[in-house]
Amino acid sequence: MPQRDIAIIGASEVKIELRSGRTTYELAGEAMAGALANAGIDKSEIDGMAVTSCFSDAGNPFYSPILSAYLGLQLDWCQTTDLGGAGASGSVARAAMAIRAGLCHTVLVISADAQSTTNRGDIQGFRGEFQYPVGIMGPPGYFGLLSNRYDHQYGLDPKALAKLAVTQRDHALLNPLACEKLRKPLTEAEYLASPMISHPIRMLDCVMVADGASACIVTTTERAKALGVKRMAHPIGYGERVNHLEAENCPDITKVGQEVAGARALAQAGMKIGDIKQFHPYDDFLIAIILQMEGLGFCKPGEGCRYVLDHDFHWNGDLPLNTGGGQISAGQAGLAGGAHNLTEALRQLFGEAEGRQVKDNSNAMVTGIGWIPYGRNWGSSTVLVLEAG
Amino acid sequence: MSERDPLEGLRPAPVKQDFSQPFWDGAAQGKFLLQYCPESGKYQFYPRPVSVQTGKRNLEWREVSGRGTVYSHTVTYRSPIPVKGIKPYIVALVELEEGVRVMANLIGCPVEAVKIGMAVKLAWVKAGEDNFPAFEPA
Repeated sequence: MPQRDIAIIGASEVKIELRSGRTTYELAGEAMAGALANAGIDKSEIDGMAVTSCFSDAGNPFYSPILSAYLGLQLDWCQTTDLGGAGASGSVARAAMAIRAGLCHTVLVISADAQSTTNRGDIQGFRGEFQYPVGIMGPPGYFGLLSNRYDHQYGLDPKALAKLAVTQRDHALLNPLACEKLRKPLTEAEYLASPMISHPIRMLDCVMVADGASACIVTTTERAKALGVKRMAHPIGYGERVNHLEAENCPDITKVGQEVAGARALAQAGMKIGDIKQFHPYDDFLIAIILQMEGLGFCKPGEGCRYVLDHDFHWNGDLPLNTGGGQISAGQAGLAGGAHNLTEALRQLFGEAEGRQVKDNSNAMVTGIGWIPYGRNWGSSTVLVLEAG
Repeated sequence: MSERDPLEGLRPAPVKQDFSQPFWDGAAQGKFLLQYCPESGKYQFYPRPVSVQTGKRNLEWREVSGRGTVYSHTVTYRSPIPVKGIKPYIVALVELEEGVRVMANLIGCPVEAVKIGMAVKLAWVKAGEDNFPAFEPA
């Protein structure tokens, strides 16, 4: 039986902007104030905080306590989650753990980054030693290697990728918080004509790095009811896999950690993949959506493109997908980008998605992806199943 | 920059880890050394402080053939700083005969000729002042 003892009672997102000129702390302040207002609770309720790491204040070894000081929070539990784009969903699970362990009762789960304004990230290790000298074009390069191998094994249909690009763009047009630069209609032909970055990755396969922040409030269901909260979302299943197949020298690069994390999350939730009513997968690249569909069991390995062509992923289609535009069409707020799809799922579960509200909002699956190891599939994989309550 | 190697003279120097030094010392002599785990009988690359199989620190360094095949590849059209603006070049994931993968430039090969499965052999290039592994068609 799934546990419904934990509840997310409010969520908020700052409008995503390119080179906003704002700081992480300013963006976080707006996100927290929005989440408190959405939950209808006082700041004094918060006694725990989990924050995703960020590029714009990377190098600050005291990030979470300094952020909590800026926000005026006195805390009994405080942590930074450095799983990259898996940090937001990972923070929800860590908040639930801390609450169940009795360390705190109400957690601010927050993600903020102003990467397009200030980037203090400096990732070295094997990248500085063996990767940068090769001139690989960062994430588009890593996903280029992955995509060509996928194409070799299974065939990669650009029309399937185009369909995802267009569907997500349609959703961004309906989301007033999506980055304005991206809120323009997109056609299949425009996707296919977009310039090649690192073959076969086109410009419109990739996220655009921007600035933004999101927050949600996690507490116990009992407390939520005592506070008079009318609608909530229960995290009923979670799975995480960091560095899938790391000890294998030559793994299949198309295999994703969501295969393991998804099975665990669904088992906890007492659900099968066919029970999922809306899907909010982490989308730094379009092919990542297809690989996750395969790894999670929406379809078999190699059948992702066919599956995409056979389904309608619009908010009113047969499997609503990234109804806020996803990061690819709403903008990626740096390492806070993983919170965008989570916050959209929460809006849907709360019935607050305005002009794009899905009809059956009884549950949602959210995933996270973070960092790319050397010549492999992505390194951090999370799967979170949420149920409306 | 040369016809054979568009990145010639442009590769940044590797920022080395202390436990990798034998690799760089070998490279300086034109030897491709990999860490070898005697308990599992497996090689590993990139260098690590421990065996990724056992977690132990009993790794050996062994010279390997430098022969392999292309597992995957990507042609870079928009290149990053410090190689920005140069003509397209190939980044390949090469699977060595010894069962590890190396990310490296494929040189002496037109960008339209790279294929998964093609046989390649080691070809040293420079990254800063260091010998750095690249591959060329075998």
